[in-house]
Amino acid sequence: MKNTLKVERAINNFTQDELAKKIGVSRQTINSIETNRYVPSTVLALKLSKLFNKPVNDFFNLEEKD
Amino acid sequence: MNMKPKIECKQKRGEKFLNFKLPNYFKKIGWFGFAIVFLTLFSTKFFEGDLEILKSILKKTSLVFLLVVVFSKEKVEDEMIERLRAQSYSFAFLGGVLYTLIQPIFNYITFLIFKPEKAVFEDLGDFQILWFMLTVYLMFFYYAKKNN
Repeated sequence: MKNTLKVERAINNFTQDELAKKIGVSRQTINSIETNRYVPSTVLALKLSKLFNKPVNDFFNLEEKD
Repeated sequence: MNMKPKIECKQKRGEKFLNFKLPNYFKKIGWFGFAIVFLTLFSTKFFEGDLEILKSILKKTSLVFLLVVVFSKEKVEDEMIERLRAQSYSFAFLGGVLYTLIQPIFNYITFLIFKPEKAVFEDLGDFQILWFMLTVYLMFFYYAKKNN
């Protein structure tokens, strides 16, 4: 699964640390999601969706192999 | 009779038990205690006399302190840490089973090659297995945390 979390974060002018604090995870978790090393749970994806005020599908996309 | 609330209550209790973690400061206590016990255990080599009971107590205490480290929360205990914990548990379990099965055979073969007169097939002790599993868990967990 690919994501454009980094872009959304830049649009909203958040640092990794700020975003992490807003959704209650570590900065390392945000970094892992951005670099596609970690796929977040539905709860976390919905928290991001609420924060960015966008549907989850706008920044999380399935790949061919998924 | 409505059984649903009872089942839910049991499930919640089970989840609470499985998700039990000590506060983050226990990690420091665990490492500190482990270091002291380890050094004491090492220093018993320089003393003479029957210290088997003391050694046995120290070994078990070192396992308890390692367990305290394992059960201590990270500074931010989020879902990724939970996933890393689950991976580390399964890695340690698999490693422990393989170690328990292979190590005695490896020991026996090594002795057969180098000191055949001392070659005796012996299973591993509980301390050795638990020590191995806990250290594998901690090594895997910190390695994965650093590289994730």
